[in-house]
Parts: sequence; structure tokens; C-alpha cells
Amino acid sequence: MFALAAKLFSVLLALIVISKSYVELRSRSESLQIFLFWLVTWTAVVIVALFPSIIDVLIDLFGGGRTGLGTFFGMGLVFLFFLVYRIYVKLDRIEQKLIQTVREIAIREDWKGKQSQNSNPES
Amino acid sequence: MRSTTIAVVLPAYNEAPVIGSVLRRIPSQIGSMPVIKVVVDDGSKDRTGEIARMHGAYVIRHLTNLGVGAATITGLRSAAELDVDVIVTMDSDGQHDPAEIEKLVETLIDGRFDVVIGSRILDRRGMPGTRLAANLLLNALTYVVYRKIVSDSQSGFKVFSRQALEAMALKSAGYEVCSEIIGEIYRKNLRYKSVPIRAAYTSYSRAKGQHFLNGINLILGLLMRLVRRV
Repeated sequence: MFALAAKLFSVLLALIVISKSYVELRSRSESLQIFLFWLVTWTAVVIVALFPSIIDVLIDLFGGGRTGLGTFFGMGLVFLFFLVYRIYVKLDRIEQKLIQTVREIAIREDWKGKQSQNSNPES
Repeated sequence: MRSTTIAVVLPAYNEAPVIGSVLRRIPSQIGSMPVIKVVVDDGSKDRTGEIARMHGAYVIRHLTNLGVGAATITGLRSAAELDVDVIVTMDSDGQHDPAEIEKLVETLIDGRFDVVIGSRILDRRGMPGTRLAANLLLNALTYVVYRKIVSDSQSGFKVFSRQALEAMALKSAGYEVCSEIIGEIYRKNLRYKSVPIRAAYTSYSRAKGQHFLNGINLILGLLMRLVRRV
């Protein structure tokens, strides 16, 4: 029962991500490469969710029993943490750029207002 | 000789119900020192900026909401461009009493300090227990991250000398700006003093103040500073 729920959950999530990515592609706010990346990634997730025995094949491929399921998922976790860190750094950089831009505009608008007041003291 | 000028910087986001009364209570002069009010409207959706302008404040408007830290830094930068000598920062939600500006400014000038911090912990009358516990926890966290312990690391009521302002390099967007200032006091070896202040915990200021989620963001922001330094 739980295995079936997990499979359905994975398929549902994949459908949401892929359809959202497709909508973004159609509206030209996402490139074809990014759409293909999500399509391949989530198709792989669905395949693994529907046929978990694939993991055994992969473990055999990477050294059999010596590798183990723990090592396999451990590597996945490390990769995900690396991804989170990269996203955090990028997000922080973008946030700083946004702040600088908004601040510059705010201060320039303020000075423009003061200058127009000085050039038109009657107002 | 030009007399000392004071700027009071108020970062404000959707504070239309109270900003007028806060600005009215800020003195236009302290002794012989004129006071300029600078409101940073942080992308408010209400009439905050308009009301502030009506009450004689310089209003600088962010096109979008960036956070209290970013608004405070914009205000400090604008105050520096106004060529003032002393800069006060305070909350715009009415939590801080404008009548106490004079006490803080006099402490800065008479004591030749670089920074004066209004401490709610030194006069904790009326402070809710949860707020006190949260502030003490954040003091500890600020010490872990910035190696400096002060009685109220999260106070937004502070006074800076112009020189202190020019020495500090601030970049926080959110509430962690308060801890970052404490870190800069330590890094730049600035002379500071904590002075007790009374904070008004009205239902409005409590609703506007730091929420649980803001607190989590603040803690995460401080921890990330620690991680990035390692």
C-alpha cells in the first residue's frame, strides 16, 4: 500500500514539474535545454519509482554489495546538498544585485525630486 | 561654524496607521541641533510615503519591498548624502519613544562614542516573556557569529556618529542587519554604549514586530554568515 502511494506521489510530482516546465517553455520564459533537463531528470525519477529494482542493477554496476544502498543514496544526498548550496549562493548574489539596483533608483529619484524643487522654488 | 545636524532614519513598510503620529513626536530640534526626518518607504502598498511627506519627512521610496535591513542601509546612505553629523535609526511602528532620542544623542556626543544602542533589555518593564527569551537567544547567536555580546543585539533604536557610519560595511537585507551592526562595531573597534530605553508593546507593534517565520529567517541568515566565514 505504502509502495503504491509512493509511486503515485512520484508520478504526480513529475507530472506537475514537467507540465509547469512545458508551460514556461511555451511562454518562452524557459529555454528548450532547461525543459529537456527537467524532462529527463523527472522521467528518470518516475522510472526508478515505478521499477525500484533498477537500483539493484545500478548497485551491481558500481561494485555490487560493497557499494550498498546507503552509499548510493548518501552520494545522492551529498549532490543535493551541493545543489542547495549553489542555489543559495546564486540567490544571495541576485538578491544583492536587486537591492543595489532598487537602492540606486530610490536615491536618484530622491535627488531628482530635490533638484526640481530647487529649480522651481515657487512649487 | 556649522552646527551639528541630526538625521532620524525610519525604515517603514505599510505603516500608514502610525507613521504620522511617530513623525509628529520626533522633535524638530534637539538643543541647537536641527533634526531631519528620513523615511525609507520600503515598497509599501498603503499611503506610508505620502503621509510621511505630509509630516515633513524626506521620503525615499524602494520600488519593491526589500526588507528592513536593506531599507535601513538605504536610509543611512541617504543621511550620509544629506551631510549630517549624527544619525539615529528607530522603528516606525511606534515601539520606540521619540522623546528618548535626545538622551541617546547626548550620550553619543558627551561620551564621544561612535555608536549608542537603545537597550530594551536594560529596562525590560512590559516586555513579554517570549520576546525576552527570543532576544536573549539572538544575543547568544550574535555572539557566536560576530564574537560580540551586547545587552540588546536586536534593537533598532541606535545612534551613530558620521565617522562610525562611514567605517561600517553593511549588506544585510532582513532583520539580521542589527546583528551585523554589532559585528561591525567589533570589527572596526568602534566605541559604543548601551543605554536603557522603554519599548511600547502595543497590539499594533506586536502584530508588526518579528513573527515566528521572521525569527527563523533571522536565525538561518545568521547561521549562513557563520557557514560562509568557515
